[in-house]
Amino acid sequence: MLMGDRADAPSLGQVLEWSDSAVVPPRVRLPRARGPRALLEAMAWALFSAGGFAAAILLPIHVAILGIAYAAGWLPDDALSYERIHHLASNPLVRLYLTALISLPLYHWAHRFRFAIHHQFGIGLKKLVASGCYGSAMLGTGLAVWIIFFRL
Amino acid sequence: MSGPYPLYVPKYPRSWWLRKGPYRRFAAREITSMFSAAVSATLLAFLFALSRGPKAYEAFLRLLDSPWMIAASAITLTALLYHTATWFRLTTHIVVVRVRGQTLPRGLLIVALSVAWLGASAVVAYFHVWF
Repeated sequence: MLMGDRADAPSLGQVLEWSDSAVVPPRVRLPRARGPRALLEAMAWALFSAGGFAAAILLPIHVAILGIAYAAGWLPDDALSYERIHHLASNPLVRLYLTALISLPLYHWAHRFRFAIHHQFGIGLKKLVASGCYGSAMLGTGLAVWIIFFRL
Repeated sequence: MSGPYPLYVPKYPRSWWLRKGPYRRFAAREITSMFSAAVSATLLAFLFALSRGPKAYEAFLRLLDSPWMIAASAITLTALLYHTATWFRLTTHIVVVRVRGQTLPRGLLIVALSVAWLGASAVVAYFHVWF
């Protein structure tokens, strides 16, 4: 219902006149969120973003090599031989790379899946969902570190 | 939040995200993260098999060497490429790069990200396959 429908409503000219003379107060800026909560949220966003980049830039080639090219027989014969891959994965830089490659997308997934549960599945339980999602990602990170640095 | 007036809370059906094209694309973008996590888990299983010695590793390679794996990987790769495309798109909407007071056009940023993506893929492929 528009204001003009009411008899006592101000006319458009009046409104414009008022708006010209109105003193617009400066916008109140909320203080920046601080403390452990804000830090956790910033960390979740940073990991989400880093994971999004890792998944976008690095994961497709790994799927293309391991998932498609190997089974299709496009790789050289000894490309995935145990000795070669084990030697490659023993390099400290490669180990760091593998840890980031595996763990970062998990935080990306945790962040998006958390909100998919709320928005797409229509489930509440905010604290349970958040701790379940980020907890799974941390579990994956722990497993990756254990396998890559202590088992390999 | 509730004042002297009744608060209007819109109720959406659970399937709201299936209703319109943009909603479906949004949901698809969110679902690609499931595939990223699945790839992470697969790589983890690959490294675990590698850590358990040649026999376990050969068994994992046999698992990879099946037509089902190619089919699953093709679906996964499609989802990941959709993620890459949408991720570059949203990044160039968020990140503003200024060079000498001039804002770089979005098209240039997308080209730069694509070049970085191709370069990174080439480096990974080189070390993974030919090094």
